[in-house]
Amino acid sequence: MTEAGVTMDFYPMPAAGQVRPWAFPSPDRGTLPAGLRFLHCHRPGQQLVAVEICLDAPLDAEPAGLDGIAAIMVRALSQGAGPYSAEEFAAELERCGATLQAGADFLGARLSLEVPASRLHRALRLLTYALAEPAFAATEVDRLVRNRLDAIPIELANPGMRAAIQLAHELFPDAARISRPRQGTAETVARIDAAAVRAFYEAKLRPATATAVIVGDLTGVDLDAVLADTLGGWTADAGAPALIPPVTAADDGRVVIVDRPGSVQTQLLIGRLGPDRHDLEWPALVLGTYCLGGTLTSRLDRVLREEKGYTYGVRAATQVLHSPAPDEGTGASLLAISGSVDTASTSPALDDLRTVLRTLAAGGLTDAERDMAVQNLVLVAPLRYETAAPVAGTLADQVQQHLPDDYQANFYVRLAETSTTEATAAAVTAFPEDRLVTILVGDAAQIREPVEDLGIGPVSVVPA
Amino acid sequence: MGNPPANSTGTAGLTATEHRLGNGLRLVLSEDHLTPVAAVCVWYDVGSRHEVAGRTGLAHLFEHLMFQGSAQVKGNGHFELVQGAGGSLNGTTSFERTNYFESMPAHQLELALWLEADRMGSLLAALDEESLQNQRDVVKNERRQRYDNVPYGTAFERLIALAYPEPNPYHHTPIGSMADLDAATLADAQSFFRANYAPNNAVLSIVGDIDPEQTLAWAEKYFGSIPERGGKMPLRSAELPDIIGAQIREVVREEVPARALMAAYRLPEDGTRECDAADLAATVLGNGMSSRLYNRLVRHDRTAISADFGLMRLVGAPSLGWMDVKASGGTEIPQVEAAIDEELARFAADGPTPEELERAQAQLEREWLDRLGPVAGRADELCRYAVLFGDPQLAFSAVSRILDISAAEVQAVAAARIRPDNRAVLVYEPTSQSGTEQDEAQQNGTGQ
Repeated sequence: MTEAGVTMDFYPMPAAGQVRPWAFPSPDRGTLPAGLRFLHCHRPGQQLVAVEICLDAPLDAEPAGLDGIAAIMVRALSQGAGPYSAEEFAAELERCGATLQAGADFLGARLSLEVPASRLHRALRLLTYALAEPAFAATEVDRLVRNRLDAIPIELANPGMRAAIQLAHELFPDAARISRPRQGTAETVARIDAAAVRAFYEAKLRPATATAVIVGDLTGVDLDAVLADTLGGWTADAGAPALIPPVTAADDGRVVIVDRPGSVQTQLLIGRLGPDRHDLEWPALVLGTYCLGGTLTSRLDRVLREEKGYTYGVRAATQVLHSPAPDEGTGASLLAISGSVDTASTSPALDDLRTVLRTLAAGGLTDAERDMAVQNLVLVAPLRYETAAPVAGTLADQVQQHLPDDYQANFYVRLAETSTTEATAAAVTAFPEDRLVTILVGDAAQIREPVEDLGIGPVSVVPA
Repeated sequence: MGNPPANSTGTAGLTATEHRLGNGLRLVLSEDHLTPVAAVCVWYDVGSRHEVAGRTGLAHLFEHLMFQGSAQVKGNGHFELVQGAGGSLNGTTSFERTNYFESMPAHQLELALWLEADRMGSLLAALDEESLQNQRDVVKNERRQRYDNVPYGTAFERLIALAYPEPNPYHHTPIGSMADLDAATLADAQSFFRANYAPNNAVLSIVGDIDPEQTLAWAEKYFGSIPERGGKMPLRSAELPDIIGAQIREVVREEVPARALMAAYRLPEDGTRECDAADLAATVLGNGMSSRLYNRLVRHDRTAISADFGLMRLVGAPSLGWMDVKASGGTEIPQVEAAIDEELARFAADGPTPEELERAQAQLEREWLDRLGPVAGRADELCRYAVLFGDPQLAFSAVSRILDISAAEVQAVAAARIRPDNRAVLVYEPTSQSGTEQDEAQQNGTGQ
């Protein structure tokens, strides 16, 4: 090869070496006297230990009219607890070199801690204060409420977040908690006070319905003794598990434009409801979704990005929303295609996107596409789970979704057994052209007419 | 100190070996057999600071073109082959360098080396007008998505422009301007490659479950015949006074949801004790939930939603200290600003307390563990220290350097640099009322 006088020796593409064995770690389990279950995994070399605390405080358990209280409550746990004020607690945690995050979702609430192994004991002691002896001082709860009220307009100004809120509003019945923003609205958040937070805490948080996941290099850590000295100190009555109602959705094809005058791009979010991980077709759905929009060489970006240049990237993804134990009923996930395109390309991009879906339905996936997706999703596992935090996160997801501890390990086997036909069927069922709710956050004056001309369902416009 | 060290084996137990091919390509290898994975990272010593007037954004646009095929790799083959092998990959462009990386299952390491070598040696065989046009559109949409279509999206660009005035090569950010992206030609891309994408202008690091002898042999086989090239354009001088000299101020009236006060400070260059001290100062001031600014503005005064102070380390110009405070409710900027000035002046006078220093060191130590733990992060840091400082081993002593800094050094750098005559201030004033009062018409909250 000669180009401008440059030469080099070329060799054929090398073949792969021998695959080295790797398996998703299998956790050990235990239970503390007060009923708190724990899972732990020793991961040699992982000096940053990850701890996840799964709490049975899903958003559906929030009292009527107090949307957002679950998120405020789990955040307030660390704003003063045990002997520490809010400021002291933050300082002690940071003295451990730890980070602590708290959030609440439809599957439950979670605290996520990361800390160097040598300071795990100290950090778990702090975490125990937060769970067992939160102060919920009125001034601190009030501060979190005001902070949240300030954050709402900032989040609404973000096109992606605004689209997600609108999609939930469109898909789900108004009476269902899931139709409304996870962290509440200005109206509901303003009603939250320390008494309500404490009442919610006392009603929902107890060790018997909580699970701790601890992953990292536990060399020299006497975990049983550490847990007895820390989380073992959290006691309460047994309580009853929270009840989460099933999810229904209206997915008749339609377009809602959230008007954001002057936007140089349109944020797309196209979605409907799908099954949860208990469904036998889940591996096929994951494969099919990856082939459709998992990466920039998937079908959507092949056209929308790499051929047309309409976007920096469009992705198809699944997000589990409801996952009861298999004998309790049917779980649900959100199936979604999202990305942003320049304003002028909005209608052409939607048109091309539908062509991609139609072509997939008509001709199916190729074996080569399926093989590449399986190879990627299966072989990427050792990389994805190299450090402790993703392992802990997946184990905690399994707990919250009522899946067995060996779910992820078996999932890789099932992916490899999934055929091209099954992956195609799952993707086509997931994204039927005429049963998708399309949210467009953009400049309605510029995009409305061209989108109406596509004839993809009624088009309505709502203010941002 | 009462705080036990985070670990005794962590970064201190890591090692790396250095090698150089005949064409000048430097190699850094680091063995780690914990997980059957291998990270490959290539740093080219070229970034947006090397760009010339009228061609801002070229280094980043060019980075996209590196994924559009080379002599033996068709179209998107680079992505397809790596992902199909169970790997992940990407590239990024900053002021001072461009990096490319593949994280692979260990048995696919040779493929990643073959791919990187193919584009280092033969990119121009595949580069054409069609790829350029397409990726220009993609990058323009990247710019819209990340900067132009989000509130405060252009703040960083504005602060940089104020703190590094023309004609400083750090005056513009890597994303570049729309006009310059439009103006870039195929000839520009070709000459950019010839000038900068040579083996003697790159460092290749390979970290993970590797056999060093075999890995070296592969590197020699695939990269060894790529000719060394000269012709790199000399870097324009980035020299600036340590202190801006007088406060610079820009007020932006835009449709943003809340008032904001942001500032850029010129801080010491990376590679100095003073830079590590500045990192600790920034951490004490505005990193985490027990920082001075957070405690004062968010906890006590309740005049701010968030208050952050960070450090962007630079080698060829003063590092950038940036402050970002979003005002709460109807709070006016002067009120927030007075409180900030009070805190910064107090910190410059007294420095950190022993407890604050201990916390800041523990936080930065954790960040380094997080960075050097995974093979990909370690490969990137080894390249960074090899390219910017000529010594990859410095990656492994970064934590001990941070732990070696005294409170007096932190105070000294704060007194010298974190002061009103060394900052460029950017104030955001919303044009609509929605950000200054709770908007009752707002039916939707958020958080999804």
